[in-house]
Amino acid sequence: MEVLRIEGLGKNFGAGRLEVRALEDIHLSVAAGDLVALLGPSGSGKTTMLLCASLILEPTRGKIVFDGQTIFQKNGWAGGIDIRRIRREKMGFIFQAHNLIPFLTARQNVLFPLDLVGQKGDAARKRVMELLDYMEIADRADYLPALLSGGEQQRVAIARALANNPKLILADEPTASLDTPRGKKVMTLLKKIAKENRSAVIVVTHDVRMIEGFDYVYHLKDGRLDQNH
Amino acid sequence: MDLAVYDLRLHKGRFIATIIGVGLLFTIVLAMNGLYRGNIYEGLAVIQATAPDLWVVERFRGGPFNEQSTMPEYYYYSVKAVPGVEQAGPFIYYTVERQIGERSRHFSIVGYDVFGGLGGPRKIYAGRGIQQAHYEMVAHPKLQLGLGDKVPLGLHTYTVVGLTKEAVDANGDPLVYLSLPDAQEVLFQKDNEEIRNQRTRLARGLAHQSSDTHIINAILVMLKPGANGAEVARHIEDWLYFSTYTTRQEGQLMLKGRLASMTKQLLLFRILLMTVSVVIISLVIYTFTMEKIRSIAVMKLIGASNKVIVRLVMEQSLLLTISAFLTALVLINLTYRFFPRTILLIPSDEVVTFIVVFLGGILASILGLWHAWKIQPAMALGGQ
Repeated sequence: MEVLRIEGLGKNFGAGRLEVRALEDIHLSVAAGDLVALLGPSGSGKTTMLLCASLILEPTRGKIVFDGQTIFQKNGWAGGIDIRRIRREKMGFIFQAHNLIPFLTARQNVLFPLDLVGQKGDAARKRVMELLDYMEIADRADYLPALLSGGEQQRVAIARALANNPKLILADEPTASLDTPRGKKVMTLLKKIAKENRSAVIVVTHDVRMIEGFDYVYHLKDGRLDQNH
Repeated sequence: MDLAVYDLRLHKGRFIATIIGVGLLFTIVLAMNGLYRGNIYEGLAVIQATAPDLWVVERFRGGPFNEQSTMPEYYYYSVKAVPGVEQAGPFIYYTVERQIGERSRHFSIVGYDVFGGLGGPRKIYAGRGIQQAHYEMVAHPKLQLGLGDKVPLGLHTYTVVGLTKEAVDANGDPLVYLSLPDAQEVLFQKDNEEIRNQRTRLARGLAHQSSDTHIINAILVMLKPGANGAEVARHIEDWLYFSTYTTRQEGQLMLKGRLASMTKQLLLFRILLMTVSVVIISLVIYTFTMEKIRSIAVMKLIGASNKVIVRLVMEQSLLLTISAFLTALVLINLTYRFFPRTILLIPSDEVVTFIVVFLGGILASILGLWHAWKIQPAMALGGQ
C-alpha cells in the first residue's frame, strides 16, 4: 500500500538572478514497510526534500500524495487539510540531534505525541512503556534526557517517533551523532520497525556504511534524484 | 500534559529566584499603593477625626491645614451667636519638634476648648480626655508615651492622661492634644533671651508692646438640628468676614492642595513600577522562550498545535506573575507596620493591582509568544 507519492516535485529558493533550484523533478513512491535511504553530499537538497516530504516546506511545483490524499499540487496546499494534524497523527520524526524535549523525562517525551492526539490515561502510559521496552530502555524511563547517553537518547527519540503508530517515519541523519556500532544498532532498529510495524521509513544520511539492507537507496545530486537499486 | 510546569520544575532554582525578584518589585508596587492611600489618610485624618459641621477660617484662606489661617480667639463668641449655630469652639493646630525622652520628636499639637468639647480626641483607647484647663495632654502612641508620663514643653510639664490613635498629622507625625491656653502658651512661649531683648527694645522705643497670644487658627462649628448649613456659612462669611468650609470641603482643599503633588507623584511611581515589572516579566519570559527554541521547533514539527505552544508560554508567564504577586502580598502584609509612614492596604487596591498584574502577565507573554510564533519547525532538522 502506497504511503507517499511525490511527482515532479521542485523547490526554488529566491527569485530572479538569485533563484536557486534546490529540488528539480523529483519522483518518489514509498509503500508501507519500505525502508528508503536518501543519500547525498551537503547542499544536495536532502534536508529540503525531507522538509517537503514532511509537509513543512511548500514545494514550488509538483504533487504530493500522502496516505491516498492529495496534499499538494501545483496550485499549493490542498484546501481543508490540517497539515499539523497529519504530522501528529500519521508521521514520526527522528532527528540527528535526538531533539528530545529537555524538561521532560524519557517517559514523558514518548507520551507527548500521544497527548497531542488526545490519548491519555492508562492505555497511553502502557503504550509508552511498551515502546521503551521495545527500545530496551524502559529502565531509564524516568530519566531526563541530559542524564542519558547519546545512544539512549536516540532510542527514546525513536520510541517517540513510533508512539502514534505512524504510517511514515522520516529520519534526518539519525546516526550522525553516534559512533559506528551504535549507529548500526539504530539502523537495525529502523529496519525492524519498517518490517514489524509496517511503517514506511525514509532515512536521510550521508553515510553509505549505514544503508546496508535498505529496500531503496536514492542519491540526491544538485537537487535531482537517482535511484541506485 | 502540563509542559510549563515540567519546564519550571527543571529550572525551579531560577524560577524561584525570578519570583522573589519580581515579587519584591510587586511588594514595592503594593507599598506604593499603601503609601498613596496612607498619604491621603494621614492628610485627612485630623479633619475626619475632628469633623465639625463647619470650619471657620481667616477670610480667603484655605486653612487651617492646607494653608495658614490666623484669627483672634474672641471671634468664636461672635460665631457662636450666629443663628443656627449650636456650638462653636476655638481650634489651634501647629507642628513642633521637641525633646521627648532622649529623642527629638516631630509632632503636631492640637489645642481646643476642653470644656466646649469641639476639636478634641473622640476615641481614647487608654486613660481619659483632658479634664483640667492646664498641664494635661492626650498623646498618640507613636510618641511611645504611657499614661502618667510627664512631658516638658516650654516652661511647664504636662501629664499624659489619655492615649488616642485616631489621627496623625499630614506628615504622618503623631498628634498631641492640649487645652487651648496650654497650646497657645507652648506656641508663643519666648525664651529668656528673647524676653530680655524684647524688654530692651521696648525701653529704647524700638518696638511696641505686642504680646497677644490669644490667636487661633480656626473656629469649629456644630449646627443646631435642622439648621441650614449653607445659610449659616453665608451668614458667617457676609457678616463676620470669614471663610467657611464643610468637613468635606476641608478635605477637598487638602486633596487638591497640599496632598495633590505627592498623590500625583505616588501615582506616577505606581505606573512606572508596574511598567518596569511588566517589562522585566516580558524579558524573563522572552529568555525562557529563547531557551526553548529547539524544543518548540520539535513540538511544531511533530504536529503540536499553536494552542499547545501558546499554553506553554502563557502559563509560564502567568505562573510567574501570580506567584510573584502572592509573594508580594505576603511580604507587604508582614512588613507594612515597619514603614515610618502609614501604609494603608485596601483590599480593592490589591484586587485592582492583581488585575493589572494579571493583564501585565498576559502582555508580557506576547513578546515570548511572538517569538515562539516565528520559530520554524524546520529548525528541528538543523534549518534550511
